[in-house]
Amino acid sequence: MLPLNPIVVILHKEPQETKARRYQRILEEHLGLQSLVFEDISYESSLEDCPLDEDEDAFQGLGEEDEEIDQFNDDTFGSGAVDDDWQEAHERLAELEEKLPAAVNEQTGNGERDEMDLLGDHEENLAERLSKMVIENELEDPAIMTAVQTRPVLQPQPGSLNSSIWDGSEVLRRIRGPLLAQEMPAVSVLEYALPQRTPQAPEDDRDLSERALPRRSTSPVIGSPPVRAVPIGTPPKQMAVPSFNQQILCPKPVHVRPPMPPRYPAPYGERMSPNQLCSVPNSSLLGHPFPPSVPPVLSPLQRAQLLGGAQLQPGRMSPSQFARVPGFVGSPLAAAMNPKLLQGRVGQMLPPAPGFRAFFSAPPPATPPPPQQHPPGPGPHLQNLRSQAPMFRPDTTHLHPQHRRLLHQRQQQNRNQHRNLNGAGDRGSHRSSHHDHLRKDPYANLMLQREKDWVSKIQMMQLQSTDPYLDDFYYQNYFEKLEKLSAAEEVQGDGPKKERTKLITPQVAKLEHTYKPVQFEGSLGKLTVSSVNNPRKMIDAVVTSRSEDDETKEKQVRDKRRKTLVIIEKTYSLLLDVEDYERRYLLSLEEERPALMEERKHKICSMYDNLRGKLPGQERPSDDHFVQIMCIRKGKRMVARILPFLSTEQAADILMTTARSLPFLIKKDAQDEVLPCLLSPFSLLVYHLPSVTVTSLLQQLMNLPQSAAAPAPSNPHLTAVLQNKFGLSLLLVVLSRGEDLQSSDPAAESTQNNQWTEVMFTATQELLRIPQAALAKPLSIPTNLVSLFSRYVDRQKLNLLETKLQLVQGIR
Amino acid sequence: RRDSSRNENKKHLVLLRDGRTLIGFLRSIDQFANLVLHQTVERIHVGKKYGDIPRGIFVVRGENVVLLGEIDLEKESDTPLQQVSIEEILEEQRVEQQTRLEAEKLKVQALKDREKEVQTEEVRGSQS
Repeated sequence: MLPLNPIVVILHKEPQETKARRYQRILEEHLGLQSLVFEDISYESSLEDCPLDEDEDAFQGLGEEDEEIDQFNDDTFGSGAVDDDWQEAHERLAELEEKLPAAVNEQTGNGERDEMDLLGDHEENLAERLSKMVIENELEDPAIMTAVQTRPVLQPQPGSLNSSIWDGSEVLRRIRGPLLAQEMPAVSVLEYALPQRTPQAPEDDRDLSERALPRRSTSPVIGSPPVRAVPIGTPPKQMAVPSFNQQILCPKPVHVRPPMPPRYPAPYGERMSPNQLCSVPNSSLLGHPFPPSVPPVLSPLQRAQLLGGAQLQPGRMSPSQFARVPGFVGSPLAAAMNPKLLQGRVGQMLPPAPGFRAFFSAPPPATPPPPQQHPPGPGPHLQNLRSQAPMFRPDTTHLHPQHRRLLHQRQQQNRNQHRNLNGAGDRGSHRSSHHDHLRKDPYANLMLQREKDWVSKIQMMQLQSTDPYLDDFYYQNYFEKLEKLSAAEEVQGDGPKKERTKLITPQVAKLEHTYKPVQFEGSLGKLTVSSVNNPRKMIDAVVTSRSEDDETKEKQVRDKRRKTLVIIEKTYSLLLDVEDYERRYLLSLEEERPALMEERKHKICSMYDNLRGKLPGQERPSDDHFVQIMCIRKGKRMVARILPFLSTEQAADILMTTARSLPFLIKKDAQDEVLPCLLSPFSLLVYHLPSVTVTSLLQQLMNLPQSAAAPAPSNPHLTAVLQNKFGLSLLLVVLSRGEDLQSSDPAAESTQNNQWTEVMFTATQELLRIPQAALAKPLSIPTNLVSLFSRYVDRQKLNLLETKLQLVQGIR
Repeated sequence: RRDSSRNENKKHLVLLRDGRTLIGFLRSIDQFANLVLHQTVERIHVGKKYGDIPRGIFVVRGENVVLLGEIDLEKESDTPLQQVSIEEILEEQRVEQQTRLEAEKLKVQALKDREKEVQTEEVRGSQS
């Protein structure tokens, strides 16, 4: 046994030998490597002789300093402390670029050799040893062994100029074997760029560290989101999920590596972030109306659990799981999590039953692609994929049916167009011309198909939501309106041709994520670890209410205004909720409905209280609060929206208050001119009011004296009202209502009648007095006013009134 | 959106947040909408005229992209717009920008006046 290399040290202190530790030990034994750098390293002792000569110098220097300086600093002591000569790196890269196209077209074996030559002898030995080692330790399954040997050759790119970064890494990937299943492309570039001696280090680091703890100091267990060795933006090296082809229908699986399945379920879990893990299967369920719940977003703990659960197969402890789930080993947990989180297809796919075939065989009944069969191994399965029809339909089931229809129509049009252009509908010729085009364009297809699919997949995932009405309100409403329009039109026609599709939203059921902070065993008390889900309070902000008397008047005004604004905002939220209840009703179950009703009533009451500024102990709240709200534009609009929900008395109260302070409001509304929005709900209300209320309302509006005393020479209140569009319109509406009441019920109570008559007399007097020029133009003129006035005034005056108020249509 | 990823190597038009219009072959895209455009041309539109400035390869950071659309090569020539030289279009752009700035200034001034009005009114209102 080779002497233990001193730099290679313990990953973290675990009672039993961790998988990572085992690997480390094996590596040391077999290869005498000295450059494996792990997280939380403590450099133990000084360097000794190592078989790899070149490394010695570099690391000796490092080693001596190590003990004195902080050992946890990767950048200084680990792989980051590499002498990065960019020129060297560039040369190497350029060299590589030239060699790659040649390498790409060769067989696996040749490719391997080429790559290894490029990187030096060390690499060759290392690679061989690593691959041997990994295979013998991990891959017990004979099926997997066969799969490993049958690697597909990379398809030659349409142009040699197309060698992109991704290609290079692909080739590299092949050499490294399953060991490098988790490497990311970014790493590969670095590998080439780094000087010769260190490439081994980062590679191995990253390989094994993928399975061990991630490089950063926070482990996913403690509650922060899982850390990736490479930025989240990089696409996976391998084909991520060939089976989820509802959306990602990829007819060209050549980039898929068969060794991937051996990692099952590890590669699946590792390559994709936990979010993807949950969401992609979910996206395949988009075809279903109410897919079983797979939440698109999990807390990191649940993600970790999920990974652990998903990967805890009996007897299949791959090191990858270990890294992420050190604390969650145990099948009871897996069992608990599995049914909860992995419902539906995912649950079927990642069952305790051994079968990555299930993983691939997710046949969605709703979508066209043929369900994948259960192959004996991944190879034949992939061939199945290859044989799929090149024609695929994008998954649009999550879209609104109208939207979907439009899209399909457009697609059809395009297809027809193309067909027409090419004549005789031969798509072959179209395709060949397309290929010609591509051939001439050497930069075409810089992005591989799987990369495109990967990006699309991400974008699709972003569209999933638990509540489309919440997330995508305008989209939903827009298409609903469209549908209503078309439905309305169709009603006039022969009958609905298209069945009115009830919108079935692909809802993902919300799961309650109660975050439980991690507890450390053996620690006294509860340690609080601050993370994304459990943020620590940074600033202790205390609200102190000011009670100083020497505040300036302006400040008081400002404060009052601010308070009003806050009240408006709160009431608005209530209003939005109340408006939403109808929709919730339809979606809710029978039992929940009474509760919803209660909630709604309660909210309406609080809205009203907010508006009127209810103060206990006051039998009649002052108008001031309401007036303040009405001074603000948003307040006025809000009142207009709230009115329909209020009871008649409440609404009448609001109306009276408005009438009382109308001149003031008119003055305040001069800039905004929003009052007219209130006319419509007010009119609606007025037509429901009894005659008593109407009478008093009219009095208020015109500010007529209660008694029949001699009227004042001028009535500024009335003048203001009449000069305003809203005021005049409201007045006319009230008058009209009064007339309605009169005409409809002549045998009404005499007292009311008398009152009304009195008021009308004074009203008409006032109206006659006002010069016409001062009048505003009302929004609408009720038709029965002529008959109204004719009761109370004589012919002459009637004509006068008519012309003044422009009551007769012809004059306008 | 998915179809956009199948539209590689077709001419695309990109509108950026700063108002620039780029036209080029979309070579690469990622989930942040970072774009790699090849043989890019910046097209400046003023009124009915436009001018193209060849720019080469563009790598655009996703956050600056407003929208991205495919150009139908057949319909591309079917436009009422008139192409002019670069110098001319730049001159037109300068003139347009100047008029816009002046209009902005007037607007800002008017708003300031209004603000003062409202403030004084409020104080008066609260006192009454």
